[in-house]
Amino acid sequence: MQQREVTVLNALGLHARPSAQLSQLASRFRAEVWLTRNGRRVNAKSIMGVMMLAAAKGAVLLVETHGDDEAQAMEALAELFAKGFHELSAAAS
Amino acid sequence: MASFVLHGKSLAAGVAVGRARILTTGVRDAPRRRIAASETGAELVRLQAAIETVGQELRAIAAELPPEAPTEAAALLDVHYQMLVDSTLLEGARVRIERQACNAEWAYAAQAEELVEQFNAFEDPYLRERASDVRQVVDRVLRALMGAPSSAPSPLESLASLVVIAVDPAPADLLLWRQACAFAFEASGTASHSAIVARGLDKPAVVGVQGAADRVRDDDWVLVDGDAGVLVVNPDASLVAQLEQRRRAQEENRERLRRLLPLPAATRDAVPIRLHANIELPIEAAQALAQGAEGIGLLRSEFLFLNREQPPDEEEQYQAYRQTVEAMAGRPVTIRTIDVGADKVLPSAHLGASAAAIENPALGRRAIRFCLAEPALFLTQLRAILRAAAHGPVRLLIPLLTHPEEVAATRALLQRACASLQERGVPFDAAIPVGGMIEVPAAAIEAQAFARQLDFLSIGTNDLTQYTLAIDRGDDRVASLYNPRHPAVLRLIARTIAVARRWQRPVAVCGEMAGDPELTAILVGLGLREFSMHPAALLPIKERLLGITLVQAHAQARQALRFGEAGA
Repeated sequence: MQQREVTVLNALGLHARPSAQLSQLASRFRAEVWLTRNGRRVNAKSIMGVMMLAAAKGAVLLVETHGDDEAQAMEALAELFAKGFHELSAAAS
Repeated sequence: MASFVLHGKSLAAGVAVGRARILTTGVRDAPRRRIAASETGAELVRLQAAIETVGQELRAIAAELPPEAPTEAAALLDVHYQMLVDSTLLEGARVRIERQACNAEWAYAAQAEELVEQFNAFEDPYLRERASDVRQVVDRVLRALMGAPSSAPSPLESLASLVVIAVDPAPADLLLWRQACAFAFEASGTASHSAIVARGLDKPAVVGVQGAADRVRDDDWVLVDGDAGVLVVNPDASLVAQLEQRRRAQEENRERLRRLLPLPAATRDAVPIRLHANIELPIEAAQALAQGAEGIGLLRSEFLFLNREQPPDEEEQYQAYRQTVEAMAGRPVTIRTIDVGADKVLPSAHLGASAAAIENPALGRRAIRFCLAEPALFLTQLRAILRAAAHGPVRLLIPLLTHPEEVAATRALLQRACASLQERGVPFDAAIPVGGMIEVPAAAIEAQAFARQLDFLSIGTNDLTQYTLAIDRGDDRVASLYNPRHPAVLRLIARTIAVARRWQRPVAVCGEMAGDPELTAILVGLGLREFSMHPAALLPIKERLLGITLVQAHAQARQALRFGEAGA
């Protein structure tokens, strides 16, 4: 099993579209993918679950992957978070 | 059958009569029963089949999205699809069927309700609103389970004679029913996604018709009067005849105006006049072109920001502006930066005083004042506009200028936006013309200070009239005193046009005056050669222009300046 902490970087947090991206990406792997925030643990392959985390910008999540492609799954998810879900930040540049 | 009238408000003009079709929601009629253990397998199969049916429905809608659909439509359909196949929802429903002996409808509805409750408990209003997405998906599944696929029209049905009535339909449903002859909704918003889609369909439509879905029955004879904003159920024959007459007159009028479409806009003595359109959303560009617009003179960008908790990010704005620029195919698109105050842009805003606390919002921190006070928000918009400019001619228009320093401050931010795009290596056009709205009397009086710094001017006559005459048109007690023909208003317009011409800057009028045929001659007489107006006004104004000569226009303008208030 792999574990890593990630931070929500995009301005709007995990709203509908990023949640959709996240669950779609997680579903591509055979490994189980879990997200935990404030003691709430959800299946990352479920868009409802991801949205239920109500993770705003700056929220820190624990990602767990468990299964034969757990390393690739972790890499892909961490990258999606690092890139802020390809959503350009509304912050001043 | 007794005739009765349900009042709402206009969403799209025109009248139509047809048979009612109520788009029901599945939830309230879902049958609930305990099942025998032997039925468990069959219920699970039924649920799976319903999910597949709805999945096919959503995919079919996505595949047939018209090119003019809002940029968000595809993304929304995708979110709905993923909610549909979501394991949290399906697993919960499966457990209820297997362990609690619920039938499929009951199990699915109960599990959905539990999820909706969790959404409702969120503090973040944006996430809370997603409960409505869950409900819309659940409605579809329940309808499929009940074998009542009323969300999709039957292929055998002729939609053109139907009036679609719904409580608060999903945009996807409206797209399925887009061939209906008219629409009436109980929901009252005119800027919701569904309202935007409905308006783009260009059929008579009314919103805020309370009780419509309950009081009207399928196949009732109904009349939608999109001009007056009413729904008439079982209208009597004389009313139908009367409205039929109005509809025919409107049709003849439209036909006469349509013949003007290929003609260039000019006065009778061949002075060319540029006619541009005012629009709020990218999907309206098609409508503007259909009415012969030579460009967009005013894209009210704030409509992208309203009715949502979070402002659109750079990418979403860029896509919306780019969509408009591409639709206009080489014709200029003038994007006005956000022209409202903090209270309207960000409903949950922590940005200064709340709306209720501001006594005089028209004189408050709105438009460019608000943007300069919120540089992060403004820079995001500027970057999106600069990027869209890489796809065609875009002009930037600054609203509510009062002090020349506001132009300098905007230009400085524009440079910062360019620098950050450069750094990111994203294509953009730094040479975008920057213009300003002349709508504060101070700016009209000092027009040369603005003409010097700007590439073009645009006169916003609604605010100019309100500020010059100190009259709030929204206040019924004084609204009758609001008169854009007041000589003081006309003098400020004349002055602005004269200054712009002296500095060789293009100048337009983009307020309601531009779309009023009664004022066309006066404006031409004051020297105006560029008008921007609601797309529906383009052809009537062209017709008016083709009937006047410059000499007549000058005479009317002189007279108006002298006797403006008497309207002589």
